[in-house]
Amino acid sequence: MRRIHLLATLALLLGVAGGQPGRTGLSEDLAKLVRGSGSSYGEAILKQTPDQALCTAHKNRLPADVVGQFIQEQRSAIKYPKDGRLMGDWKQGEAVFNTLARGNCFSCHFGSPLNVSGNVGPSLEKYGQRGTSEAVQRYTYEVIYNPWAYFPCTVMYRFGHNGLLTPEEVAHVVAYLLDPASDFNTKPALRR
Amino acid sequence: MSRLWRFVAAGLALLALGVGVFAQDQPEPSPAEEAKKQRQQLLEQGGGILPSDLYVAQGEELFKAVRGPKGVSLEGCDFGRGAGQVEGVVAQLPRYFPDTGRVEDLDSRIRSCMIGLQGFKPEEVKRSEVIAIAFYLASLSHEATVDVRLATPQEKRMYALGEELFWVRAGPRDMGCATCHVTYRGKRSGVLPLSDVVGEKVAAHWPAYRYSNDSALTMEDRIRTCYSNLGMPAPDYYSDAVIALGLWLAVQSNGAKMDLPGFIR
Ligand code: HEC
Ligand code: HEC
Repeated sequence: MRRIHLLATLALLLGVAGGQPGRTGLSEDLAKLVRGSGSSYGEAILKQTPDQALCTAHKNRLPADVVGQFIQEQRSAIKYPKDGRLMGDWKQGEAVFNTLARGNCFSCHFGSPLNVSGNVGPSLEKYGQRGTSEAVQRYTYEVIYNPWAYFPCTVMYRFGHNGLLTPEEVAHVVAYLLDPASDFNTKPALRR
Repeated sequence: MSRLWRFVAAGLALLALGVGVFAQDQPEPSPAEEAKKQRQQLLEQGGGILPSDLYVAQGEELFKAVRGPKGVSLEGCDFGRGAGQVEGVVAQLPRYFPDTGRVEDLDSRIRSCMIGLQGFKPEEVKRSEVIAIAFYLASLSHEATVDVRLATPQEKRMYALGEELFWVRAGPRDMGCATCHVTYRGKRSGVLPLSDVVGEKVAAHWPAYRYSNDSALTMEDRIRTCYSNLGMPAPDYYSDAVIALGLWLAVQSNGAKMDLPGFIR
């Protein structure tokens, strides 16, 4: 109980900073309901972060007066690989892209030669045609590390931001998409 | 019992055939058309019997059996239309029950009666039995019209909380029901369709039989699976979070004719 109170207080403090005065992001009644619906469940929902709470409050469509600062905050939290290289090893990226429990990218994006895909996200077929300029590498890295820096509140997971992938792993996926030698660009995408 | 065995045998035969059917997996039409086709095929191959009939039969036996420390059947359970009334009750759940002081859905109400009426301890209530009984009751609500009312303050509160919870984003994958089921409705995540759970009146076909992995599920199972798939801890069975979401979804389905037990991918 003490722990939950601490969490709630913390969320409250953070919430103020994120423009959610006096709220954990959840109404008090909802906080009570989720707490009573399973301890790990309640804890997970109550941990809603201020940026998540902002998406919740605006039903995933941020109004013009908050979106600028939101993107700014998402972008400034992006971390890069220690060696500074945004394109890693495409072979390792292939495993991340095509594994359900890791990137799960194929579930939402068309283009993998290994997996039948869904269509939640845009097709990435032959993504490497965009070239490997610094700008393309940076965009691709950042959009995978934190899609909310470009598409606030979108469904794609914030892989780097939320610690699902390390910066190095994100760089491997970037290579999988961009490296001209990558199977992603040399082999045909698998159709259903 | 012999009736049940006939169902079991038919079910096994269906499964054997079913495997062959799925292996061919041609380019898909819409999920609804695909399900319709699969249903038709299973019906023809099973001589008019579907795998869900098995659960219905099992549930009927459990419902009518004299069981539990108090030695009574569930026939005296009040599902909202009075003790012993079972026709069409699924179309009017979840609702508030004064005896438990809770808004309850189908699963929760079955459990409440197993505890209150039959005298089982909460930990003795088997999930598989609740599902089977839910399927039996569902079969008695086939073609009823979904009519979930918000008549009490308790129901109004749970509805509002269900709606709020539906929009919440949380967890390592920023999970939220609306992201998939509103913003990206109609798309496919892998092969799985993201249905429009607000506009398509989906509660009208739950509980449902899922042919892709031969399982019998209630709305509680479905909601919990959606959480688990996104790396979130699921709310407990029979908990207020599941019931609030289920109530909110059910009200979105008001006016629809129930197709029960549902048959889904
Ligand atoms: C749950 C769905 C989902 C998953 C999983 C997902 N994405 Fe996305 N992705 C999207 C959506 C949706 C967009 C478009 C953003 C928008 O419009 O909201 C997108 C956008 C992108 C873009 C920008 C596309 C462009 O044309 O500029 C890239 C690149 C991308 N994703 C790569 C990936 C990679 C790599 C992974 C896995 C590590 C991944 N995505 C996982 C849904 C997903
Ligand atoms: C990342 C996407 C995603 C999220 C988030 C998600 N779901 Fe789902 N949901 C699915 C998919 C995919 C299916 C279909 C699964 C299948 O066909 O087996 C589904 C199916 C359902 C269904 C059955 C729909 C029908 O047509 O009968 C319901 C109801 C449902 N989800 C409710 C919820 C609720 C409530 C939440 C939030 C607590 C939620 N979902 C979160 C992806 C999601």
